[in-house]
Amino acid sequence: MARTSNGIELEGTVLECLRNATFRVELQNGHKVLAHISGKIRKNYIKILPYDRVLVELSPYDLNRGRIVFRYRS
Amino acid sequence: MNPVEFSHAVLISRVAPGQWHALEDDLVVGRGEALRRPDGRMFVSIDAWHGAAFDRLAEATLAALPRPLHTVVDEADLDLTVQWQRAGFTTRRREWEYAVPTDPRATGLDSALPPPGVTIKAFGSAEEAPLRALDSTIRDEVEAGPGWQDMPAEVLVLPVLDPSKYAVAAQCGKYVGLLRVATVTRLPRIGLIAVRADRQRRGIARALLAHALGALHRIGKETASAEVTESNVATTALFEGIGAWRTGSNLELVRR
Repeated sequence: MARTSNGIELEGTVLECLRNATFRVELQNGHKVLAHISGKIRKNYIKILPYDRVLVELSPYDLNRGRIVFRYRS
Repeated sequence: MNPVEFSHAVLISRVAPGQWHALEDDLVVGRGEALRRPDGRMFVSIDAWHGAAFDRLAEATLAALPRPLHTVVDEADLDLTVQWQRAGFTTRRREWEYAVPTDPRATGLDSALPPPGVTIKAFGSAEEAPLRALDSTIRDEVEAGPGWQDMPAEVLVLPVLDPSKYAVAAQCGKYVGLLRVATVTRLPRIGLIAVRADRQRRGIARALLAHALGALHRIGKETASAEVTESNVATTALFEGIGAWRTGSNLELVRR
């Protein structure tokens, strides 16, 4: 787990795309979270798909929620 | 059990040109960012963990940046859309996201031939100089016509023009149409399809699609993605005519 100026960030894998523009992501530690995508990703037309490896910033208020801030290429 | 209500004392800090943080008890609870696109328009984004942080960031960015300001939201993200509307943004346009089948039996493009005299150059076989000239011509035509603001595909400055990403239509030794595919992820994306203004309505775009989708199908890609602005009737008809289906929509919002 990385605690950066961006908050708590963890790598994970997208399990499924849900309604309301959310994604279910399984983090490296096995924990599953609901995540939105960041505005920066949306502005740059980056698509998030099931099985994508992503970096998730966890909400400081609710560790079951997060925001996808980066999608890895591989 | 009564729901817990939080009172948020949010402090906004400008951390760099075009970047703001919302702080609460020294914790970053939101970020705002402004980015100028190649067409000169300013786009903003806000990521916040609660509504109060969003509202304060919107207030700060709106106060600091020249208008009009634009943003993009997933239409299915109702909460975010409402937050932007609360900040005074209204819908400027909608763009559809399409999933495009590649199998010629599904698209009906197996029998689509280029118009007489037109040949399609495969990905990687176009020469760079004439491709660059065509790209430049098409950019000039778009600038003189609708402008890039209604072209969802063209938001980034491409530092190099890589012929391996382009299928090209040629006629009488000149390049007249192009199709760019990005294959960065598992889902190939049709980033741009364009034909010179004086060669449109002859089936060249359809022939380029037939070639590109066929090539993707042969390497095992079953689907590609594309975005089309709602008002672009010709391109919408082109994609829906080959069996593409809508997977979502984005709204471009503006605050004037």
